[in-house]
Amino acid sequence: MSKYALFLGCTTPTQVPQYEISARWVCRYFDIELIDIKDFVCCGINQINLDIETGLLLAAMNLALAEIKGLDILTLCTACTGALAEAIEKLEDEATRDKVNEKLKIVGLKYTGKVKVKHISRVFYENIGIERIKKEVKRDLSDIQVAPHYGCHYLKPKLAFGDFEEPDNPKTLHQLISATGAHSINYETLGLCCGGKTFPVTKDLAYLLVQKKLDDLIDKEVDAMVLQCQTCYLMYSDQQKEINEKYGKQYNLPVILYPQLLGLALGAEPVKELGLNLHMILPNKIIAKVK
Amino acid sequence: MNRSEKIIDFKKSVSVSECDPNFKFEVMAHPDASGLKSCFNCGTCTAGCPIHEVFSEYNPRKLAKMVKLGMRKQVLSSPYIWYCATCHNCEQRCPQNVKFFNILNVLKNMAAKEDYAPVCWVQQIEQIAKTGIVFATEEKWVKKREELSLSPLALNGEKAKRMIESSGIDEIKSKVNVDE
Repeated sequence: MSKYALFLGCTTPTQVPQYEISARWVCRYFDIELIDIKDFVCCGINQINLDIETGLLLAAMNLALAEIKGLDILTLCTACTGALAEAIEKLEDEATRDKVNEKLKIVGLKYTGKVKVKHISRVFYENIGIERIKKEVKRDLSDIQVAPHYGCHYLKPKLAFGDFEEPDNPKTLHQLISATGAHSINYETLGLCCGGKTFPVTKDLAYLLVQKKLDDLIDKEVDAMVLQCQTCYLMYSDQQKEINEKYGKQYNLPVILYPQLLGLALGAEPVKELGLNLHMILPNKIIAKVK
Repeated sequence: MNRSEKIIDFKKSVSVSECDPNFKFEVMAHPDASGLKSCFNCGTCTAGCPIHEVFSEYNPRKLAKMVKLGMRKQVLSSPYIWYCATCHNCEQRCPQNVKFFNILNVLKNMAAKEDYAPVCWVQQIEQIAKTGIVFATEEKWVKKREELSLSPLALNGEKAKRMIESSGIDEIKSKVNVDE
């Protein structure tokens, strides 16, 4: 049994509740206790654009809130993972930490450097393990084939994540998918960024990036994409409609989150427990292939 | 301003007298950008950049060179510096361990102080000071969470607001809407 502070981020709880629902269900299944901290705020990743110190300050505030409770952080969003991991690394420097703590005093907080951050997939991979997942599988997903997408901040910057993954040749999500019994493919644009952080600034360029990957997947035999970040999810899933209209395309590829696939394998109820009915493009093919 | 008006004419010659030789020192003074001195302009950053792949005028190598040449105004007023997708490929693959992603953030911070920040990022700061997250409270997702038996979000930006005010980021104004 392990216990984490759940860092929901901004986008999942407001726009992608199916990620939260399925993540909570799978964690409960594996006795991972998730503690909600109501004072958590934005991780600070976008604020770095305007002021690096402010971004660090917001991240440090979240770390301090977890530290008071004596908890490490479990994230759903890869970008939050990256922002918090980078902040942890920066705050290892005592002078930087002192400077940040001077500011945190204003809100009655202090960070001493004890918190670790782990993305939910990494918790599945390291704390639960592939073998245990395989043993728990209750449904046959062997007819399902999916295209994984890792999300840049799940892998990089490498310095902040240690040797967990090899950014140019990632494997953990492939292995996590295989553990459910489903098949995963390798494809040329596997490592391509979703453009989610470019999207608010210039939609056109982000759409070009999204199309590169969707075009690559068009002739591949996949029932869905499997993701582990809600920003990547919104780019590849919900934006398909707008891209179709704008560029005369006919994309219609379902996109799901990894805890939903894992939950299916573990026997969860697809609608109530995994929110598989909440996608703009329904993953009916996947559900039909579950045996 | 539309994009075509803002595109830098790279082919136009640059007069040395227009350049600011101190610019590179100013940039490298920030600890996050000190690595720029190791850059030998090989272009590995550009080769691995997904934005460059779809929009060739966005060129990390060129931006690094422009900083070294002291092209202060051209760099800080450039809309391109805001296009980065934050994928970290540039720093991941750099043979000199230069963190171009971090250098770019330093450049964006400097540009923001000169009011070149895109409105989207300025609005996010304002929003965090209200709800603690980058979005305003919307009835439709509040209802949705209720329907799905998910607990209501706290949406209290009070502490974040005090952090934001303490750093002076709330003074940043925007005059650039990069998208249109």
